[in-house]
Amino acid sequence: MGEAPQFGIELSHRVALLTASLALLCLVLELVRRGYLKERYALLWLATSGVGLLLGCFPGLIVFISPILQVQYLTVLFILSFVFLLSIVLVFTVVISRLTERHRQLTQEVALLANRLKRLEKKSE
Amino acid sequence: MEPRVLIIIPAYNEEDSIGNVLQSIRDHCPEYDVVVIDDGSADATAQIVGRFENVALVRLPYNLGIGASVQTGYKYAMQEGYDIAVQCDADGQHPVDRIPSLVARVTAGDADLIIGSRYVAESAYKPSLGRRVGKSILSRLVDAVVGGGITDTTSGFRAANRKVIATFAKYYPDDYPEAEALVIVHKSGLKAAETAVEMNPRQGGRTSIRLLHAVYYMIKVALAIFIDVFRKFTKHVETR
Repeated sequence: MGEAPQFGIELSHRVALLTASLALLCLVLELVRRGYLKERYALLWLATSGVGLLLGCFPGLIVFISPILQVQYLTVLFILSFVFLLSIVLVFTVVISRLTERHRQLTQEVALLANRLKRLEKKSE
Repeated sequence: MEPRVLIIIPAYNEEDSIGNVLQSIRDHCPEYDVVVIDDGSADATAQIVGRFENVALVRLPYNLGIGASVQTGYKYAMQEGYDIAVQCDADGQHPVDRIPSLVARVTAGDADLIIGSRYVAESAYKPSLGRRVGKSILSRLVDAVVGGGITDTTSGFRAANRKVIATFAKYYPDDYPEAEALVIVHKSGLKAAETAVEMNPRQGGRTSIRLLHAVYYMIKVALAIFIDVFRKFTKHVETR
């Protein structure tokens, strides 16, 4: 801790936050562009990097929030990233559950159709 | 007109016992159709079933678990227009000679689902202590929700009418499904009753409820039943 923090937040922290958020934004956009990540699942990641950029550009927000939560400003960033990760994981388990249900129905349907096909083949012999 | 009856046998690696079960169905109730749901068995289950003429075989391409394979049977019964479906294990524990008496009670309209129960007075079945405790807690839980005086909520030996077939084709739990299925029946406005049967010891294979899974089993089923109480199940409307 050298000079007095600008806007109540260390410059190095601000730079790190902005760099990380920008890198995440570029990474997510590139993944969507290449088709590795679907837009609907990219939204939460985009929101994460968006909030990161917002706080990096207006560090006054962090300084405003930290006394409300009664924590130091750096902890605010940790809490925010934790909340975002938690929501992303929760959304993903919902998605996995839906996929599990669909794949179960699809598998049952395939098995029933295979049985039907066999019977029809036998009948037509 | 005689009701069309289908016996649903879910089988996962049951090569030791499935042949005997199918043979004794042929001996005791040859008038009923049979479908075996092979839940991705790695052994000779499917080949053995193939030796029996007129036994339908539905092969799931990989193991989906007991709930999904039983439900496949109910979907088959639904599609093929059966009036009554009887669920029976492939391990030889269920007395197939009692199937006609389960069917008779469904036909008589005693209830929509008739359970072949192990715990009613006349049976000599003695399960282990751990299993007894677990099952009695579950039975109480189901009883509290359903309130129908059913003693053996985990028996997989059941006969169902068309309404239950339609309901199960739509809603059926994934794993350890028997107790929760009773709650689904109740929530769908249908009635279940039981009839005492003598269970045989297992002929082969391993029980699907191992001791290590007992805790998971209890918590999962209790949670599922608790949530079912607040869920909405659309009632089946007969369109035929």
